[in-house]
Amino acid sequence: MRISTNTIYQTGINKISALQSEQYKLQQQVSSGKRILTPADDPVGAARALTISQAQSINSQYADNRAMASFNLNSIESTLTSVTDLMVSAKSTLVGAGNAVLSSEEKNYIATQLSNDLQELIGLANSKDGNGNYLFGGFKNTTQPYTATTTGATYNGDNGQMDMQVSDTRRMSTTENGPDVFQAEGNDVFATLSNIVDLLSNPATTSAALNTALASANTSLDKGLDNVLTVRASTGSKLKEIDALDNNGDDRNLQYKAELSDIQDLDYAQALSDITKQKTILEAAQQSYVQLSGLTLFKYI
Amino acid sequence: MGSDILNIGKSALNAAQIGISVTGNNISNASSAGYNRQVISQSAAASQNVGFGYLGKGTQVTSIERVYSALLAKQVNVSQARSSELSTYSSQINSINNMLADSSAGLSPALQDFFDSVQDLTNNPGSASSRQAMLSSSEALASRFQSLSSRLTEMENSVNSQLRSSTSLVNSYAQQIASLNDSINNAMGATGKTPNDLMDQRDLLVSKMSSQIKTTIVQSGNSYNVFVGNGLPLVVDKESYSLSVVNSPTDSTRLEVAYSGKGGTPIILGENSVTGGTLGGLIQFRNHSLDTTKNQLGQIAVSLTETFNAQQKLGLDLNGNAGVNYFNTISPTIKSNGNNTGNAVLTGSFTDASAVTTSDYTLTYNGGTNYSVKRLSDGTTTNYTSMPITIDGVSISVSSGTMSSGDNFLIQPTADAARQISVSITGTDQIAAASPLIAAKSSSNTGSGAISNLTVNSAYMGSPFSSALTLTYDSGTGNLNGFPATEAVTVKTSSGTTTTYAAGAAVPYTAGATYTVAGASFTMGGTPNNGDSFTLTPSTGSSSGNNTNALLLAKLQTASTVSGNKSYEAAFAQIVSAVGNKTSELQVTGAAEATLLEQAQAEMESNSGVNLDEEAANLLRYQQSYQAAAKVMQIASQMFDTLINIR
Repeated sequence: MRISTNTIYQTGINKISALQSEQYKLQQQVSSGKRILTPADDPVGAARALTISQAQSINSQYADNRAMASFNLNSIESTLTSVTDLMVSAKSTLVGAGNAVLSSEEKNYIATQLSNDLQELIGLANSKDGNGNYLFGGFKNTTQPYTATTTGATYNGDNGQMDMQVSDTRRMSTTENGPDVFQAEGNDVFATLSNIVDLLSNPATTSAALNTALASANTSLDKGLDNVLTVRASTGSKLKEIDALDNNGDDRNLQYKAELSDIQDLDYAQALSDITKQKTILEAAQQSYVQLSGLTLFKYI
Repeated sequence: MGSDILNIGKSALNAAQIGISVTGNNISNASSAGYNRQVISQSAAASQNVGFGYLGKGTQVTSIERVYSALLAKQVNVSQARSSELSTYSSQINSINNMLADSSAGLSPALQDFFDSVQDLTNNPGSASSRQAMLSSSEALASRFQSLSSRLTEMENSVNSQLRSSTSLVNSYAQQIASLNDSINNAMGATGKTPNDLMDQRDLLVSKMSSQIKTTIVQSGNSYNVFVGNGLPLVVDKESYSLSVVNSPTDSTRLEVAYSGKGGTPIILGENSVTGGTLGGLIQFRNHSLDTTKNQLGQIAVSLTETFNAQQKLGLDLNGNAGVNYFNTISPTIKSNGNNTGNAVLTGSFTDASAVTTSDYTLTYNGGTNYSVKRLSDGTTTNYTSMPITIDGVSISVSSGTMSSGDNFLIQPTADAARQISVSITGTDQIAAASPLIAAKSSSNTGSGAISNLTVNSAYMGSPFSSALTLTYDSGTGNLNGFPATEAVTVKTSSGTTTTYAAGAAVPYTAGATYTVAGASFTMGGTPNNGDSFTLTPSTGSSSGNNTNALLLAKLQTASTVSGNKSYEAAFAQIVSAVGNKTSELQVTGAAEATLLEQAQAEMESNSGVNLDEEAANLLRYQQSYQAAAKVMQIASQMFDTLINIR
C-alpha cells in the first residue's frame, strides 16, 4: 500500500500522544492513590463508593449517639445507686422508729433524720446530667422536676422519654421520668417519708397508729426500692446492649473501610508495573518515529 | 530532418520540465491541508505518415490532474461528522463528569454533614449550639445544590454560544462553497481543464462543514449541491442558504438551530434534523445528558424540601409553636409558548413529592374542555376536562388570563429546583425537634399495658387536642374508654384488619393494635388491669428535652423519598453512575470512531497524499528525461553541424 508522508508523521504522532495520555492517567492515579479518578473510570464503583461512604458516615454518627446515650445512662445509674443507698438507710431508720421505748424526743431525732433523707431524695430526683439538663424531668429538662411540699414533693416535669437512635434499627430511651422511678404504681416514696416524719414529730400520735403507719411505710419503701432496682436493671441492660452495638458498629466500620478501599484504592504494584511497561512502549514508539522519519530518499540525491 | 529531431527533443525537454514543476509543487504542498497530489498525463504526439510508416513526433503533456477519489472523500466526511459529534458530546459531558469526580464538591458530603447535624440535635435537642450547627449545615447544603445548579446552567449557556458560533461557521462554509462552484464553472467553461486548486479548496470546505454538521453532497455538472438534515439545501450551484439560531418558543432561555433559507422565517430543526458534527453533538448532549442531570438534581431538591418540610410541620419548635417550612417551597417552572394566542399564565405546586419524576411535560389546550398533558420522557399523553390538573405529584392551575385553543405550555417540575432550594427558617428556635403529643401510661397503673409509636399527621396539626386525652381500660367490658365523643376511631390490628368505630361508639382494647384518632396514631401493647389509664398529652410551652420529631427528621436520610423508592443519597449516586456510564460509553465509541476516521483518512491519503520519496524518485526521473532530451537535441545539432561541415 502506498503511504503518504503525512500519514507517516500523523500516525506516529497520534500513537505517541495516545501513549502519553495513558501515561498521564497512570501518573495521576499513582499520585492520588485512587483507582477511580472520575465517575467515568468506573461508574458502578463510583456510585457504590458514595453509598458506602454514606453508610460509613451514618455508622460513625450512631457511634457518637451511643457515646451520648451511654453517658446519660451512666448518669442515671450513678444517681440511682445513691438513691438505693439512701432508701436502704431510710429503711433501717424506720425499723428503729418502731421501738416502743423511744421517748418523744428520740422520735423527733428520727423524724429529723428521715426529713433530711427526704430532702436528699428530692435533691437526687433533681440531679442534672453533664449538659446541665435535669435527668428525671421528662422532656421538660430545664425545669426542676420536683419541688418539696408539705406532703412530699410534686412533679413539674412531663411524661416524655427521650429516645436516641443508637443503631439503624434500635431506638433506645435514655432518660427516666421521675414518676416512673419514685412514684411507680401509685407508691409515692416522697409522700411515704413525709407522712412518717409528720407522725413521728407529732407527740399526739398513738403508738398503735404509729406502728400501723411504720408497717405500711416499710412496705412502701420496699416497693420503692424494688422499683428503683428494676429501673437500674433496665439501665444496666441498656448499657450492655450499647457495648454490644459498639462492637458491631466497629466491625461494620472496618468492613466499610475495606469495601471502600477495594473499590477506590489503587493497586500500586500493578500501577507501577503498568507505568514501566508504558514507558518502554513510549520510548520504542519515539525511537521508531525518529528513525522512520529520518528515512528519506532526499538524503541520497 | 534535423529540425524534426530537434522538435522531438524539445517536446521531451518541455514535458520533463513540466514534470519537474508538478513534482516541485507536490513537494511544496506535501503538508498543505486539503491538497491532493497532482500528476501529469503525458502521451505521444500525433505521428506523421512518412510513406514507409508513421514517424513519431515526440511527446505532449495532455493535462495536469489531481489524484482524487470522491468515494474515499465521502467516507472521510461521513466519518468526520460522526467522530466530531461524539467528541463534542464526550468533551461536554466530561465537564459534568469532572464536576462529580471531586467527591468533596459533590452533593454527598453536604448531605451527610446536614444529617449528622440533625442526629446531633436528637442527642441534645435543647442545645443552642446543636441547633445552630443544624441551621448552618442546612444552609451549606442548600448552597451546594445552588452551586451545582449554577455550574450546569453555565454549561447550558456555553452550549448556546457554541451553537451560535458553529452555525455561523456552517453558513460561512456554505457561502464559500457556493462561490467556489461559480469559479470552478467559469474556469472549466473557459478552458475545459479542471482548476485543481479550486477543487481542492472546495473539498476541504466540505470536509470542514462535515465536522460541524452531517452533510449530503450531490454533484451536478461541476457544482456541489450541499444538503443537511432531511434534504434542506445549504448550497445549490452558486446560491447558498443559511442556518440560524433562534430562541426556543417553549423555553426562551435556550437557543435552537433553525433553517432560514434565503433570509426567510426560521424553521426550528428538531434533534433528528441536526445530526452529526459539533452541532449534532451539542444537541445530543443538551437533550440527553445536561437536561437529565439538571432534572435529576432538581428532583432531589424537591424531595428534600417537600419531605423535610412535611415532617418539620408535624413537630413543635423550641417555643412550643407548630413547625413552619424549614426550606422555602420550590415551584415547578411553567413556560408559555411564545406562539400562544391566549394570555393564560399558569402556576404549579407540588402535591406529592414521591410521585415527582425527572421528566418535563407539555400541556396543550385543545379548545372546549379538552386539555392534554404529555410526559416528554416516554411520550405518554393524558387528557383532562378541566383545570387545575394534577399529574405525577404536580398540580397546575391557571393563575390569570384564559387559554386559546392550540396554546401550549412547557412544564418543568424539577429543572430549576436545585437553584431554588433555600433555607426558610431564620432562628434556631424554629427547628421543630419536639413532638406535639406525649404518650404515657399513668404511674399508678398496675398492669403491663403500654403505649408506644405515637405519631401525628397534618390533620392533627390542623386541630390539635386542647387538653390531655386519658384512655382508661375497663376490664369488665374490655373497652378502652375516653376517646373524644366527636371523633371516629380507627383500629388496625397487628394482623392488618382495620375497623372504624363511629364517633362515640365503644372501642375495644386489642393488644398490638394501632389506634388512630383525630390524626394521632399510637400502638397499645401488653395486658392492662382494670382502671389502668394512658394519656396523650399535648406538649405545651418549651420542652427542650423533646427530640421525638428530630428523630423522625433524622430518619429521612435513609428513607425512600425520591420517586418513593430511593434515598436522597442513592438518587445522587444514580446521577453519578449515569453520567459516569455515558462518559465512559462516549470515550469508548468516540475512540472507535476516531480510529475509523483515521483509517478513512489514511486510505484517502494513501491515494491522494504526497509521498516525498516518490516525489524524489520522480525528480530523478524527470531530471534524467530532461538530460536525455537535451542529449537528443545535442545530437540533432551535431548532425546539423556534420552536414554543414561537409566541404
